[in-house]
Amino acid sequence: MLPDLSGYFLILERIFAIIGTGLYLIFAIVIVKQVSMMSKNVYDKFNGVVIVVSYIHLALAVFLMLMSIIWP
Amino acid sequence: MVRAKDLDLVAPDEVVIEKIEPKLQTSNKIDNNMKEFRQKMYDVLGHTKHSLSSFLVKPKSFKFTEQDDQEEIILVMRPHWFTNVSWVITTIFMLMVPTLARFLPVWNGVPLRYQMLGILFWYMVTLAFALEKFLSWYFDVFIITDERVIDIEFNNLLDKKFSEAKISMIQDVTSMVAGVSQTMLNYGDVRIQTAAEIPEICFEKVPNPDKVIKVLQMMRQEEEQEAIDGRVR
Repeated sequence: MLPDLSGYFLILERIFAIIGTGLYLIFAIVIVKQVSMMSKNVYDKFNGVVIVVSYIHLALAVFLMLMSIIWP
Repeated sequence: MVRAKDLDLVAPDEVVIEKIEPKLQTSNKIDNNMKEFRQKMYDVLGHTKHSLSSFLVKPKSFKFTEQDDQEEIILVMRPHWFTNVSWVITTIFMLMVPTLARFLPVWNGVPLRYQMLGILFWYMVTLAFALEKFLSWYFDVFIITDERVIDIEFNNLLDKKFSEAKISMIQDVTSMVAGVSQTMLNYGDVRIQTAAEIPEICFEKVPNPDKVIKVLQMMRQEEEQEAIDGRVR
């Protein structure tokens, strides 16, 4: 008789979710960093909006990371 | 003897005044000619309609780090708006994927909490994709100033490339408009061969390549005239 592996699969899924969202968070941080750097190099009217969007994106990435950890 | 001293005092002033007046007149004439020349150039280029345009003529708010204090930006270009169409369509399709996934039997077997997390993650990936494409377009700028041509590239959010060449170093300019969309919407590549360290600068998929070539030609003439007049910065 095979043992019940569903518990292990759930743990595995969670680990993958945390790794995935963690990588995504790093990507979001890189975007913020690059946008700030490029906005200093090339200044235009619309830069402010782009910086705000990159920070919103980072906030969403943090939220997603927390969701993958906290979600029951 | 006294008379000779007076002459010494007066004579230099007279000579100086005689020399200054024609110089001032000449410099005013050159300035007026320069203004007329620039105006002709701006007439060729036309006007910018929107700050997010791909063809910004004499932008007021645009600046870049390497810009000199006296350097005037004549034209700023980004790739033509049509180059964004493919990623916009892809983004719209990506936004529709979670809705379409509901019809798949496999999807319904996934626990609800993971469905929710998966959908959220998918939308985030879509946002990241769109943001990366937009930023690559927005920060990919080609600048023509009164002194040089500059190409600033921003690829995949990780690579930044800055190349420049002085107008006086430009040897040859060619443009290429290829394909249906480029012919219909009048955009293409402008290749600038230079005598500088970077042998070629390419403005890729920019609007109005014919106007860009015309302006570069005028700029080269202006630069040659500046060299003749001895006004090179």
